[in-house]
Amino acid sequence: MDLTETPDEQAFRAEARAWLEANVPAEPLPSFDTAEGFELHRQWEAKLYEGRWSAVSWPAEYGGRDADYLKWLIFEEEYWRSGAPGRVSQNGIFLLGPTIIEVGTPEQKARFLPAMARSDEIWAQAWSEPDAGSDMASIRSKGTLSADGSEWILNGQKIWASRAAWADWCFGIFRTDPESSRHKGLTFILMPLDTPGITVRPIAQLDGDTGFAEIFFDDVRVPVENTLGGVGNGWSVAMATAGFERGVSLRSPARFNVAVERLIKLWIRIGDPDDDTMRDAVTDLWMQAEGYRLHTYMTVTKLLEGGHVGSESSLNKIFWSEMDVRAHELALQLLGPDAERMDGAHQRWVDGFLFSLSGPIYAGTNEIQRNIIADRVLNLPRG
Amino acid sequence: MKFSFNHDQQQFAAGLREMLEREFTAAHLRGVWESGTGHDPAVWARLADMGVLSMMLPESDGGMGGDFVDTVLLVEELGRAAVPGPVFETMTVGALALRGTTWASGVADGSVAVTAALMGERYVPHTDVAALVLLADHQSVRALETAQLQTESVEGIDHGRRLATLSGTDSGGHFLAVDLNEVIDAGALASAAYLLGLSSRMLAIAGDYARDRRQFGQPIGSFQAVKHLMADALLKVEFARPAVYRAAWSHATGADTRSRDVSMAKALASEAAQKAARSALQVHGAIGYTWECDLQLFMKKAWALMPAWGNASLHRRRVSDAVLGQR
Ligand SMILES: Cc1cc2nc3c(=O)[nH]c(=O)nc-3n(C[C@H](O)[C@H](O)[C@H](O)COP(=O)(O)OP(=O)(O)OC[C@H]3O[C@@H](n4cnc5c(N)ncnc54)[C@H](O)[C@@H]3O)c2cc1C
Repeated sequence: MDLTETPDEQAFRAEARAWLEANVPAEPLPSFDTAEGFELHRQWEAKLYEGRWSAVSWPAEYGGRDADYLKWLIFEEEYWRSGAPGRVSQNGIFLLGPTIIEVGTPEQKARFLPAMARSDEIWAQAWSEPDAGSDMASIRSKGTLSADGSEWILNGQKIWASRAAWADWCFGIFRTDPESSRHKGLTFILMPLDTPGITVRPIAQLDGDTGFAEIFFDDVRVPVENTLGGVGNGWSVAMATAGFERGVSLRSPARFNVAVERLIKLWIRIGDPDDDTMRDAVTDLWMQAEGYRLHTYMTVTKLLEGGHVGSESSLNKIFWSEMDVRAHELALQLLGPDAERMDGAHQRWVDGFLFSLSGPIYAGTNEIQRNIIADRVLNLPRG
Repeated sequence: MKFSFNHDQQQFAAGLREMLEREFTAAHLRGVWESGTGHDPAVWARLADMGVLSMMLPESDGGMGGDFVDTVLLVEELGRAAVPGPVFETMTVGALALRGTTWASGVADGSVAVTAALMGERYVPHTDVAALVLLADHQSVRALETAQLQTESVEGIDHGRRLATLSGTDSGGHFLAVDLNEVIDAGALASAAYLLGLSSRMLAIAGDYARDRRQFGQPIGSFQAVKHLMADALLKVEFARPAVYRAAWSHATGADTRSRDVSMAKALASEAAQKAARSALQVHGAIGYTWECDLQLFMKKAWALMPAWGNASLHRRRVSDAVLGQR
């Protein structure tokens, strides 16, 4: 055990910090759930790419830095501390990208990864359907091969696809074997969102902005080369992607540490020093954020030493999402009457509160995560 | 940066676990309870032989020369087995306070068991087993021989941790050249590590029961209410774990944040143990509410150690003073 950074890690941190200090926009960008904000975030991603900071854990040949998990964590710490914009590219760079690196063909890697790293192509993910939410294996959107076998013809409907209103491409799973049910007969397919036959209908989220969308597929033709991980393997490819999402990559600890640091500053500035209940609650949040950071360092060390992270990642997902809600609830309590305002100096807390509430729902609801923990970590009998 | 234990540390802990699973089962623990001694000389001798008791003593005292990182997994294993007597007190608090003294070799060979009451405890555990009790005297630590003291036993909830009130402690004994806070932190951290092991054991017992017991024609572990109860308890335990291990690192390296980190560990481990005990009991239904069910042996140890060395509330206050500034 050595909880200090090596000179190499320190140098990496210093380099990231210096670049971010020089490049992070002084003013926060408008939300990426607006048309204008989306493009501004795309430009920011391009700048990150120029500095080779957009996909630090990817191989250098695709625009990354071959950073191991520890360095990736260090980068994330510096990133969130610097106040840099949210990552509009995350579906691609953090979820699909690692999956392509793992199971993609050489042609797919060359075709998709560089454009993803540059954010020339921003991705949406299309799993959920109106009748297939938690029960994702019940999806019905289907793909049939064209007569000459060169194209998929897609029909059906996806919903809740984040970023889809302005994204360029999407990935998702489709039932390609009509005789199949549940986890079998599904195929993972990639396609541009401007393919003829695709209709994207934006949906306003709780905050009123267009954070996600419905996607309708009406005889949409996609080359079979856009199949990822083989016909009929969609479920296992999707699970690899969702694994990345729940595990370390979607929510690095740094953003929660930063949120909690802001909460502590807020407490010191406006908290009532005699309010011990609030003081204890803020302390609890600090311990949770710190605990999550430490837990992640343990997980990452395990990965670096050749271990695997399986269903334990469901523990992380519950932990960070509930911590985030709690931090924002406390901040709003501290803000008192200002918590009711949607404009003004504290808007970030109110927006953050609304966003935090989606954490226990997306990426597999926390109830589903508890089922997974019980079944696969505690080995309780399936219901 | 590397947050893991090395091969030797893992192997030593695995060896200890194997030994305890073989030689110190719940039936043995129940035997200790029934004996009324609060102590098991046979397992104590094994721990001395293996070098568990002397891990934190320097080699010049006949010890293994280890630090808290070398020790924390061992204490966790002792907790998993709920080994009775002043075991973590002796091997951490005792070893730290008595290094370089004439008692040190006795700690190493198992002939000197040590208990402590450094936080103004009203009831002192293990005085009838320990040769020495460590008491706080202003900012110093004083060692007194228990044989010289008047003790009056009181009945405790955990029969592996017998309690007494002490008198005649105002003078005498030997002042030890140690930092009181460092020793208190060692006790708080060791109790946290022990609680971590206990919590895992309680969840394991509950898991076995949930797979075995059937109602409505199916194992109760297949019911979602039972699953989620246990998943939530596991969540608390698994997020206390890195806090305990980090505190061991901070203690071993004398980090500036040592006291804060130890307090975080003890607060989280106490709360995790509380949740694990409560959930494990609920999973058992009425059988869990009996003297006969082994779960009680572990729950009662947890209930005794949650408040020992400072409860979660006290340690949370210490963390808030460090993080939010003194009140
Ligand atoms: C902000 C946001 C962004 C999203 N982004 C995307 C995206 O980019 N792409 C995408 O495909 N999807 C996305 N989703 C959708 C998300 O994955 C689903 O909402 C989620 O899987 C739950 O499905 P559902 O909404 O249909 O709820 P349901 O499955 O209908 O669940 C409703 C309630 O029932 C509970 N429940 C259901 N089944 C069980 C069970 N077996 N045991 C216990 N409780 C159960 C759930 O936990 C929940 O509380 C997003 C959602 C949100 C809120």
